[in-house]
Amino acid sequence: MGKSWLKYYIIKRLIYAVAIAWAIVTITFVLVRVGPSSPADKYLANIMSRGQDVTQVTAAIEAKYGLDKPLWEQYVNYVVRLFQGDWGWSLSTSMPVIDLIKIHWIYSFQLILLSTVVAAILGMLIGIYSAVRQYSKFDYVATFFSMAGISIPSFWLGVMLILLFSVKLGWFKVYYDTTLPLFSLENLKALTLPVITMVTGMLAGYVKYTRSTMLDNLRKGFVITARAKGLPERTVIGKHVFRNALLPLSTILIADLGGIVFGSAYLTEIVFGIPGLGQVSFKAIFASDYSVVVAIVLISTFLVLIINLVTDIAYTYIDPRVHYD
Amino acid sequence: MTNKLLQKVGGPLYHNRRLIGYYWQRTKKNKLAVAGLAFILFLVLLAIIGPFFTGDPTKSNIEENNLPPVGFSTEVSIYSIATGQSTVSKINGTWKHPLGTDSKGRDMLAMLISGARISLWVGLVATGIAIALGVLIGVLSAYLGGWADNALMRFTDVMMTFPFFLLLVMIVFIFGANLLIIMVVIGLTGWAGIARLVRSETLSLRTREFVTAAKALGASDGRIVFRHLIPQVISLIIVMATLSIPGVILAEAALSFIGLGDPTVTSWGVVLESGQQSLDTAWWVAVEPGGMLFLTALAFNFFGDGLRDAFDPRSRS
Repeated sequence: MGKSWLKYYIIKRLIYAVAIAWAIVTITFVLVRVGPSSPADKYLANIMSRGQDVTQVTAAIEAKYGLDKPLWEQYVNYVVRLFQGDWGWSLSTSMPVIDLIKIHWIYSFQLILLSTVVAAILGMLIGIYSAVRQYSKFDYVATFFSMAGISIPSFWLGVMLILLFSVKLGWFKVYYDTTLPLFSLENLKALTLPVITMVTGMLAGYVKYTRSTMLDNLRKGFVITARAKGLPERTVIGKHVFRNALLPLSTILIADLGGIVFGSAYLTEIVFGIPGLGQVSFKAIFASDYSVVVAIVLISTFLVLIINLVTDIAYTYIDPRVHYD
Repeated sequence: MTNKLLQKVGGPLYHNRRLIGYYWQRTKKNKLAVAGLAFILFLVLLAIIGPFFTGDPTKSNIEENNLPPVGFSTEVSIYSIATGQSTVSKINGTWKHPLGTDSKGRDMLAMLISGARISLWVGLVATGIAIALGVLIGVLSAYLGGWADNALMRFTDVMMTFPFFLLLVMIVFIFGANLLIIMVVIGLTGWAGIARLVRSETLSLRTREFVTAAKALGASDGRIVFRHLIPQVISLIIVMATLSIPGVILAEAALSFIGLGDPTVTSWGVVLESGQQSLDTAWWVAVEPGGMLFLTALAFNFFGDGLRDAFDPRSRS
């Protein structure tokens, strides 16, 4: 039967992803336009304090950003510029938004990557052990702590960790040191508390999914066969059950966690003073810097979209049984 | 009026009262779920009658600022202009402010009770909106099928792709930090997951005999959806409502924490945000509201989890 359907599937998914991206761009454009004040208004407060004429300044700003043109023309310009990589001008930092993002993305990336890896490995190990020893004491304790992990407000946990380990015990610095080189042990140490904060919130998802997919697979026929052959329990669990559980796990997790991870990274960066995109957006909110806030929302959304697309396609290669219409 | 409404949407739970008793018996076996329910009831009581016993949460008294909770003490160094030296004095918590005061001298207990009111209110309203939308879209999608199903589900996909919190930040940033806006926006953005679950549940119900029978008797689409399909998914709705409340409460707190909360109300997030700035002088201002958020979310999660097990026919022992 071959994989000819796969080509159509990938094309279909690509068209679909572009359509969603376009829908999201349109929604944000409408939101910004429908909002009670225009971007020019938000900036006016600053100008007025310098004693300039309000109507003149408004007209100048509107002309500069094309806000005096008809709405449909503004919309077309907006979409075209986005695709050209022109994400607007950051009024509060006086540089193109795209440059601002180029400086700061790495800080978000290192935090998210490190947290995801730690949470995935730890969560899977706990999930496997919980499933193998279902209804044991360990299983109950693991369930309890995963539940606590999703219930604890991540920003509060961050504040508590700072209070305990930085203020009282003095093991870590209160604020993240931005002068540290990225690939150094000091940087890793500085990221310890932020990563713990992120992992606590993410762990529950991994534990829950691993446990339930492992339990599903443990009841299947090939497990009985493997045991009947006299394979050691280690091999049965590791090579037979976990391998089969890993497949659904990989897609569910990445797709589901995308949004959660961005949300919690946003807050974690603010609490620990890590100069990633979350903190940039946070500062932009207070400076009423429209284009930065909108750009960061768009970028995160596009990333989630791309990650979903890639995992869905990768899934069809990893598991030959998968067939989409 | 309410009786009729209950009868309409209550479905099997209304017509067969023994069912409630049966589910309660099953939920009761889960100790954590019972503890969660007890905490929720305590919180509701606190939110309703608490404000009558405590003072005004916004009243500041600079002479009594940064008082520790009862049983704790802090050391404060006071600089005296007369002697030119600073003396360290010990301050103990008093029963006048059992949970201490913040940097402006506002009573923590009063602020926490006011926060309980706001958090529960936000949780109920936003979840109500999300559930209503999710159930309606899910049931319609499954019942209508065809292109309507396709269009509604693609729309649901778009909503699910949006990183929820960032979308929230953007909308509140644009439309202004107002409690009503925050509640409505959380509700309007949170229905996608519910719609998907309700759709898959309804898909399996759609072809059952009672729907065919209702159709054969000439029931309209609206009647089938509201009188036959929605009541059948009521247990699913109850579980999802319980489990989505903590997310909503934490989202409102997170918004307040980053400075996008309604400045006119004293919510837990707002207090927590102010507490982060005085972490080294008054730790309790940040610890207490966060602890309340944590316990509240935990209680709803435990109770919801217990309910889900109780409603799940597969877990019948």
